[in-house]
Formats: sequence, structure tokens, C-alpha cells
Amino acid sequence: MNATMKVLLSFLITLTLTTAAMSANAPPSHLELTRTAIDTHIIPHIDALKSAADALPPAVEAVCKTGSEEARRTLDEKFAAAVTAYAGIDFLRFGPMLENGRREQISFWPDPRGFVARQLRMILLNKDAKLGEPGALAKQSAAVQGLPALEFLMRDSEVPLGPTEPAQFRCVMAQAIAHNIVRVVGEVSDGWEKPGGWKDKMLSPGPDNDTYRNENESAVEIVKAFLIGISLTADLQLKPQVDTKIRLSPPYNKSGLQKQVYAASIASLRQLYDAMHLEAYLKPDMAWMKGWSQGTWRTIESIDGAGGRASHAQRKDTPTSREVFDRMNGLRNIVANRLATAAGLTVGFNELDGD
Amino acid sequence: MSLTVIDRRSLLLGTLAFVGAAYQSKALASAADRDIAYVATARKGMKNYCVLLLRVDGSIVREVPLTARGHDIAYHRPSGRVAVFARRPGVFGVAFDIDKATPPHVFTPGKDRHYYGHGGFSQDGRLLYTSEADVESEIGLIGIYDVARGYKKIGEHQSYGIGPHEIMLLADGKTIAVGNGGLDTVPDAGRENLNVDTMEPSLAFVDAESGKLVAKHAMTGDLKSLSIRHVTQDKTGLIWFGGQWEGSPSETPQIVGSAGLDRELKLVDAPGGGKGLRGYIGAMAVSNDGRFIAASAPKAGHVLYVDSETGAVVGKSDLKDVCGLSSEGEHNFAASSGFGVIRYETAQARVVSEHTLQNIAFDNHLRRIA
Repeated sequence: MNATMKVLLSFLITLTLTTAAMSANAPPSHLELTRTAIDTHIIPHIDALKSAADALPPAVEAVCKTGSEEARRTLDEKFAAAVTAYAGIDFLRFGPMLENGRREQISFWPDPRGFVARQLRMILLNKDAKLGEPGALAKQSAAVQGLPALEFLMRDSEVPLGPTEPAQFRCVMAQAIAHNIVRVVGEVSDGWEKPGGWKDKMLSPGPDNDTYRNENESAVEIVKAFLIGISLTADLQLKPQVDTKIRLSPPYNKSGLQKQVYAASIASLRQLYDAMHLEAYLKPDMAWMKGWSQGTWRTIESIDGAGGRASHAQRKDTPTSREVFDRMNGLRNIVANRLATAAGLTVGFNELDGD
Repeated sequence: MSLTVIDRRSLLLGTLAFVGAAYQSKALASAADRDIAYVATARKGMKNYCVLLLRVDGSIVREVPLTARGHDIAYHRPSGRVAVFARRPGVFGVAFDIDKATPPHVFTPGKDRHYYGHGGFSQDGRLLYTSEADVESEIGLIGIYDVARGYKKIGEHQSYGIGPHEIMLLADGKTIAVGNGGLDTVPDAGRENLNVDTMEPSLAFVDAESGKLVAKHAMTGDLKSLSIRHVTQDKTGLIWFGGQWEGSPSETPQIVGSAGLDRELKLVDAPGGGKGLRGYIGAMAVSNDGRFIAASAPKAGHVLYVDSETGAVVGKSDLKDVCGLSSEGEHNFAASSGFGVIRYETAQARVVSEHTLQNIAFDNHLRRIA
């Protein structure tokens, strides 16, 4: 069972139990909404990323020791698992992920200026062996610390990773990067789950809480994360397909993971949407939004994120990227201005992002 | 620099920006136009963006539709000229006369440039300055536009930093203060900040005519992640700034401060610190008498008031999603929110009056006209 399946199973079991605990159609309290989102979505996704990250160092080591095709296939699989697991939490841009720039350290993307390649080439040129020492990479630019940097080394066909002399320093770097990813993801996981960590902080709002003054503010944080996730997926993954003038490489394109990233992003957002249970707050005269939202999710899930049809598509026709892009923006508006408002969770126009 | 090649998308956006904004002669300008007290960018309904011209009571005199989200407004009082700028990293600006005496102008920053949402007129009103980026090189720029030639771009100065945000022509009429946010953005990557771990924010002073750097305060050490974004000037000529903290939230420093051409940077000791303001100041304003400074913190839902004579915080008000700020009367302020509220309050945070517009979300900035 891969990491995504584990998250899905965990989500379904916990959501079923949580939902059963609530009356069938009763809207959750704001605290229940937050707790459900954390227990059924955030923590399982972070755990999945942690497990996927932990598998990277031995996989890199095997390639560097043997150079065998089997070891390369395994590394490819483990890398894809880590990337898709990360796609499931990329939009949780608050709390532990925001501390010390951890998000950029794990996944420095988008990278329209090519920082990853540029800075890694400099490092490969200088061959400073000290960068292989524990903790040394953490002092370097975020661009060379995470998954895109590892991908760069894995996909360089001129000097492939392996037990060869030209690849020796590259293997030192690949190992350092893999261990660094484990470290940063571990910090994120610890930040959420330790006693007194971010989970406890969100579930214990009040006047003494330095971030969440009441249950409303904790729940709004969850809604904001969802809205950011929809915007990021629409603007960074779909918009370049809609507007051909935009020059932005798809995520993890060198590894051919564009479709997997889209599927993981959407699956995670859908799970969070369901976990928030916002539709339960709608009054009868606004019930049409439920149908609209379900139709929108079917549309969003019917494409593969790379201009084609998803294998599990439920719509008979294949929507265009433009339609999906517009639907995503519509969903964002409905959630921000209707569903969240119905739930008493008002997300401010100006507070959503800085400028 | 290419000033003749205009990106097709920019032109389209700009052209559409004024659909529905009827031009009329000066003679036809109605009495209602003379009631205009404020100009604000806003969202109407769920997805329609516009410029609103408002009376003091918050009622709308005129509405100018935009095809994308606007940001700040520049106003030249003697001529009645208004310019509105696209939000970062937008590529259109629109300018018009408050009395509708001339047709609206649409302008763009040119190829490989984008706006950061702010600008200001020269004292004589002949030039418009805007904060811009050279997309390829990341270099921050001050774009210069000739008003008489239909806002034709005629030159550029360096901003002496990456990501210039608010720029302000100082009272001396010859120095531009620039809040160099330090953040690199590329339109193709949306609003993603690309260099958070290497950012170098600063407050720079640039000679408006020569473009030479006059002075610069770089954010270093514990402040290296404090993106300087909004500025205003008090009666003594001191610049007050509000920042956006891009570092670890647990290490958020104070985010409002002051500096001068020859005076070192000093931070305001706000109760609760920058963390209590959620690390983000969305707008700055000075009272008409030049004494009190207002700083809005939309994420925290506060306006912080500082007495520039003492540097002390004298008031802090609560208003959810507050951002737009402007002076009102001699000592008071107007504040607008994303929930359609316009509120008048004193620097001691006493509410004078409040109006709410239905179906309107005020954007980041509010500009006093009358």
C-alpha cells in the first residue's frame, strides 16, 4: 500500500468515525471542524510525508553503492512517493511549515529563474566535501536543500548517480539532500504533533493563545489553507496550460510527475473540503451550492492536470483546462464568500495574503 | 528598455479596464462629482474589481470597472488627476481626471516589466512615478511617465533593491522614498516569492531627477526578513514605514518604524510586538497635521496609531480585515475594510462614525481627495 492509499484509508476511517459521532446533518462547531481537519487530513498527510521522506536516504544509498537498475527503479518510486506526499500538504502554509522557511527547503518550486540548477552547478563545481557533513546543507540556500535538488541530481543523464568516480561528490550531495529532507519533514511533523505543538495550539484557542484567540480563528486558518491550495493549484499548475504565454515548467517535470502532483493536490484538497463539512451550514435556499460543488469536483477530478483525461474521470466528456481553471476559481469564491460565511467563518479580502 | 513594444495582454487588460467609464466634458461634470471625498480600489460582489469614488458618508459617486484587482491610488490635488495601479505583479495602470474632463488613459510598464501596485505624481503633476520590476534581471525600478503625452513611459530609475513596493515623493519635491520589499516575483509564477531566504529589503531614498541614490537603510541581522512595503512622511520629514515579516513567525520583530535621510532606523515599541500585528502592515497614513501615524494590520484586524513627536503608540483599534487608511480632518483617520466598512476614528482609537457598504470589499488602499 503506497503513502497516498494509506492517507486515503486513514482519512476514510477517521472521517467515518468522526462523522458518525456527529448527528447526520448537524453542522460541526468551529472547534469540531478544526479537530476533524487536523485529525483526518493534516496529521495523516504529514505522517505520510514523513514515511515517504524516511525512505529516501536508503534508496539514494543503494543507487550510489550499486548503480543497479533495480536500485534506480526503487529510488524513482520513493522519490515519486515523497513528491506526491508533499503535494498533499504544500498549501498548509502556516504553523510549523512556515518556521525557518521549511516549505522552500522541502520543495523549492516554482523556480522560474532556475535557482536550483544554477546553485547546484556551482556546488558541483566547487566540490566542497564539508557539505556532506551533518547539518551543513541546512546553512545553504533553500534551493539546494530539497526535492527539486535531489531530482536534479537523479535526472542528470551525463553523470548518473552510482558507484563511479565522476558521481562520487554527486552521491555525497544526494545523500546530504535526502537526509536534509528527512530532517526538515521531521521538524514539521514534530511541530504539529508534539505536546504543546501546533495541533494543541489550534485546539486550545483563547486569550492566552498567542496565535488563535478563539475557535473561530482556528477554523478560519483551515479555510484559508484550503483557499490557498485551490489558488496555488489553479495558478501554478493549470494556468500555464490556459495561457500559453506563461513560461513555467510543470512541477517535477524532469521526473514526469506532473500528473501525479496534480492528482495528489486535488485529492488532498477534496479530502480537506469534505473534512471541513461546510455544506452542512447551508440554509435550504442555498442548497443548490452542494450540487454545484459536487459537479465542480467531478470536473476538477476528470482531467489529469497535463491536458488529458484522468483515468478515474466521472464526467463523460473531458473538460478543457480552461473550464477546470474557471471552475476552481468559482469554487474558491463559493467557499470564501458563501460556504465559509454561512459557517460564520469570514475570511477577509485583505488578510488572505499580504501585499 | 523598450517603450514601444507593449505586451498584448497588458494592452487588453488596460483597455478593458475602462469599459463603462464614460468620458464627459468638464461642463457636464455633475454636482455629485464635487462631493467626492475618497478613492478606493475594491471588489464588488464575488469577482468584479473596480475603482470607487466615494462621498464622506461612504456612498458611491462613481464606479470604474477593472478587469483585474487594483491596488493603490495616486492623486495630484492641483490638477485633480488620479492614477490607479494593478496589484503585484500586474501590468496595467489607469489614469483619469476626477472631474471627468479628459478621457481615461491606460498605460503599461512595457515589455518585461510589471507593477507593484504603487506610484505617485511629481509636485507639478507633469510626471508619474511607479514602482516596477525588470522581470529578467530582478532589478527594482522606478518607472517615469509623461502625463501630457498620455502617460507615455519616458524613463526609469533604479530603486536600489529588489521588489520596490510603495514609493513616495517626499515633501522636498525632489526625493523619492522607496520601500524595497526585497522579494523577487515573476508574473509567470503568480504571486510566489522566489527568494525569501536570500531577500535584502531596504528603505531607499532616490533623487527624482537624476535617479542617484541619496541614502539607503538596509534591513540586516534580525531584520533581514522584514520586507519594507508601505511608507508615509510626518511633518518633520521623517519617513514612517510598515513591513511584512517573511521569517519564522515565532521570531517576528516589531514591524513599524521610522528613518530619515540622515537618521538611523528606529522601530516602534508596539504592545504585543509584530507578532500581535500578525507580522503584516497593509497600509500607512499620516494625519493632515502631520503629527499622527496610522498603520493597518489586516491579518490581526488592528490599526496602530503612533504619535510621531514621541514615537509612542497612542491608540490601537479593532476592525476585522482593516487595510485602507487615509487622513480625515486635521487629526483623524479614515479606515476601510474588506467587509465594506468605512470608519472614522481618532488617533486615540475612538470611533467617530462608521458606514458599511453592502456587497463591497475594500482593497488595500484608500486615498483622500477632498
